[in-house]
Amino acid sequence: MTAIENPKTYKWVGTRPIRHDGYDKVVGKARFAADLNLPGQLHAAYLRSPHAHANIVSIDTSKAEAMPGVKAIVTGDDFPALDITDPNHDVSINVLARGTVLYHGHAIAAVAANTKAEAQTAAAAIEVEYELLPVVLGIDEAMADGAPLVNEHNHQKFVGPSDPSNIATHTPLERGDADAAMAAADIVIEREFDCAHVHQGYIEPHACVIDTGADGKANVWASSQGHFMVRAITAAVLGWETSRIKVTPAEIGGGFGGKTTVYLEPVAARLSEKAGRPVKLVMSREEVLRSSGPAPGAKLRIKIGATSDGELTAIDGWMAYQVGAYGDFAGMVGAMSVASYKFPNLKLESWGVLSNTPKTAAYRAPSAPHAAFAIESIIDDIASELSMDPIELRLKNAAVEGDLTAMGMPHPRIGLVECLEALKASDHYQSEPAEGAARGVAVGFWFNIGEQSSATVNLNEDGTATVITGSPDIGGSRASMALMAAEELGIDVYSITPVVADTEAVGFTDVTEGSRATFATGKAVVEACRELKVELCRRAAQTMGVDEAEVEWVDGAAVSPSHVGGEPLTLAAITAQAKRTGGPLTATASLNAAGAGPSFAVHCADVKVDEETGQTEIVRYTAVQDAGTAIHPSYVEGQMQGGSVQGIGWALNEEYIFSSDGVLMNPGFLDYRIPVASDLPMIETIIVEVPNPSHPYGVRGVGETGIVPPMATIGNAIKAAAGVRMTSLPMSPPKVLKALGDAR
Amino acid sequence: MATVHLMTQHRSLAGGEAVVEADGATVGQIIDDLDRRFPGLAAALRAGSSAGIDGEIHAEPEFVRVQPDTVVYFVAPLTGG
Amino acid sequence: MSRTHITCTVNGEDTDFLANPGTSLLDALRDELGLTGAKEGCGTGDCGACSVLMDGKVTCACLVFAPEAQGRNLLTVEGLSSGAGISGDHLHPLQQTFLEGAALQCGVCTPGFLVAAKALLDHNPDPTESEIRYALAGNLCRCTGYDKIIRSVQEAAVQLRSAK
Ligand code: FES
Ligand code: FES
Repeated sequence: MTAIENPKTYKWVGTRPIRHDGYDKVVGKARFAADLNLPGQLHAAYLRSPHAHANIVSIDTSKAEAMPGVKAIVTGDDFPALDITDPNHDVSINVLARGTVLYHGHAIAAVAANTKAEAQTAAAAIEVEYELLPVVLGIDEAMADGAPLVNEHNHQKFVGPSDPSNIATHTPLERGDADAAMAAADIVIEREFDCAHVHQGYIEPHACVIDTGADGKANVWASSQGHFMVRAITAAVLGWETSRIKVTPAEIGGGFGGKTTVYLEPVAARLSEKAGRPVKLVMSREEVLRSSGPAPGAKLRIKIGATSDGELTAIDGWMAYQVGAYGDFAGMVGAMSVASYKFPNLKLESWGVLSNTPKTAAYRAPSAPHAAFAIESIIDDIASELSMDPIELRLKNAAVEGDLTAMGMPHPRIGLVECLEALKASDHYQSEPAEGAARGVAVGFWFNIGEQSSATVNLNEDGTATVITGSPDIGGSRASMALMAAEELGIDVYSITPVVADTEAVGFTDVTEGSRATFATGKAVVEACRELKVELCRRAAQTMGVDEAEVEWVDGAAVSPSHVGGEPLTLAAITAQAKRTGGPLTATASLNAAGAGPSFAVHCADVKVDEETGQTEIVRYTAVQDAGTAIHPSYVEGQMQGGSVQGIGWALNEEYIFSSDGVLMNPGFLDYRIPVASDLPMIETIIVEVPNPSHPYGVRGVGETGIVPPMATIGNAIKAAAGVRMTSLPMSPPKVLKALGDAR
Repeated sequence: MATVHLMTQHRSLAGGEAVVEADGATVGQIIDDLDRRFPGLAAALRAGSSAGIDGEIHAEPEFVRVQPDTVVYFVAPLTGG
Repeated sequence: MSRTHITCTVNGEDTDFLANPGTSLLDALRDELGLTGAKEGCGTGDCGACSVLMDGKVTCACLVFAPEAQGRNLLTVEGLSSGAGISGDHLHPLQQTFLEGAALQCGVCTPGFLVAAKALLDHNPDPTESEIRYALAGNLCRCTGYDKIIRSVQEAAVQLRSAK
């Protein structure tokens, strides 16, 4: 670990305490959504579409209703039709199809019965008559003139009224004169790339238990990245008032963006309402892969021009993201994520394109990995053509504060140069690759986002504290909240109980996405603590009999120069007197945080390529990332390592394989192969700390950037090791073998 | 007058300009001022843009206060994973 | 369907329960015995989240029918810590090193890893890194990239050896 630029020293921030919720997780007591069972609970199962695109002519549930154990059946007709302009329209027809099925595996009906087996048998007995429609699977196919419509409800976004189309978004970005700069460049490299759909691959399938009571209120226990989001979408799809729904967050078994939307809850709530009994609905792994949201596939054509001394003068790019059966933003963000280099001239055009495949969802830094794979591959080729060190070339062009992103906005203080320097100085980069291995590096960028968060901090009578937030803990955020509160209040981190509260016990909080929990929710925790410190000083002034203005909060106690005896008054001493000095000590902060700091990462991989099998082995791997400030360094490293390995899977193995009629052919972990322990070396980490000026502790958010560089890092290493430039993800053994054969 | 940078897809609504000047104490007022000169631009900007102001991106910029020397960058909405 | 009566030892205690012949051991543990530590990540033997020890051998509980547990000795994550306590003092060294080494993020894979790692260290008290990686290759973790899991197992192995 190298701390490069964090002048502040803290007592708690930056330490590595055992996380508060860890104990329950190592003894098997932590409650994930599927672990909960309620008295009288029913089990639900879906009927899903066997076709990738078809009109539903009729649904006959009569046979299923008469089957043993069946208590309720719902179809799309059990839900209100939302207006096409409603932001929840797409999700409302994704949870259960209405009139048309848009992809293979699209849910059509659901059954609640006494046992899961009864529910499954009955669901299979529902009779549906279909009228098949043309299936559109590829980007070129969908964009072709006269292409059949993927989804008749889709209109291109942000262009005003328009005819239905297979285009979700079109984003042009331009500055300078890319054509002229390209013509003047000493070296120009242009390539085409493609990337398969990949899945977030969280180990816990989606699950919920819902009890809709006789009062019409639904109690929901769900696994999600944001229980207020679950409440809002469930209410909208059911046509209910928000106050009818209470969502209690279960522990969440991984999300990575995939649990920022809803699949099950409106369906289970309606089943529970109909049956008058609690309903448990859990996806199988096959359902997760077929019917939840993978990340988009993409095609990209990128051209980059440079001078002979390695100045990158222009980029010209076309990117199309395959966003699934509904409109999505991925295409816009893809182009905007081009932000690592100065590029005085830039012309980018990105498209979000529909296909009859599952509705895509966010996956760590959505759409940036595809763009980085293409751009960082070409930059590497430019470095080798110019015989420059790949880090030197990047340093020469790296964006710094004030340089423009593709969006046109100048960067605030960022740490890309520091990350590149840290890698350059690392043991890994300073050592030769092992015998037979070769090295690649690449850079990644992600914006990070802020959004709304709330926090309540209660000081208890004995000087301990409860920190209550609405951000589900998907990887150590409870510990981070407690650390920031401990730092502020000056008390021991274990005197603080961090709680993730239900939707009725804490203020509104947006989903844990965009690496925002430690940044935005952390900011709310700090604000609440600071408000409490003011009040603590006020209370202490009373007790000490001194002027409030003289009292200061130092190291967990109130001190005043004029207090006779000079004894500081500890937090515990003040809380013990709370009843006499004005009542309970509690504070709440709610905010809509702006200024999430952009985060950069630089990765380095040494690989060996087996020329007989095409297999790539990762021999050594280092991830460098600017965390702003690492609140709990172990979990920052964990995010970097987890992101790196997901990226390694994306680079080498993982892909959605569809048949020509749109059926996913590998809906299980056996064939959709994510990395296992024996595929990998240790993932070395270097945390760089260039504090974010918009956060009280300088936090940037670290969850996402780590997945951006690995594909190009490994592609560049394969190029160095085997001499072939891979342009198609995944760089699986057959593709590498073919490239080796073509090169011979 | 605040300086306003428009996204490429909105420039055709502003006579092809990439950078324009506008008056207002909030981003919303700036949008309204722009719409007086470039009818239709307000609707396009409000249909889905975030605004970058002083290095911070605001997802809901309508009521964000701006100074006469502020530079406002309209950008497409962001999400995360 | 008539339910089968199964008697076995679970976490050191004589236990009996009823299950349909087609029920998986995983469902029986979770639904009949309330031992929800083992998780279902796939139901097809590919993720290891459901790992338990059956007569000391790592077993995917999702692939075993409940009646196959008849007369067997089962250990689940709930049986890993010694004594009655769930306090830090009673934790198995693996549980302690997983906590200290931040070897869990979401924690859904953790029960399976702990059980599989215990089986490894029971048979091989001094495994190499590569032996650990291969022994745990049947357990998927999507959060950690495995680094901290491997290090925590290495550390637990050191502690267990020095305690002997
Ligand atoms: S649930 Fe048994 S191996 Fe995945
Ligand atoms: S910690 Fe989440 S899957 Fe391993």
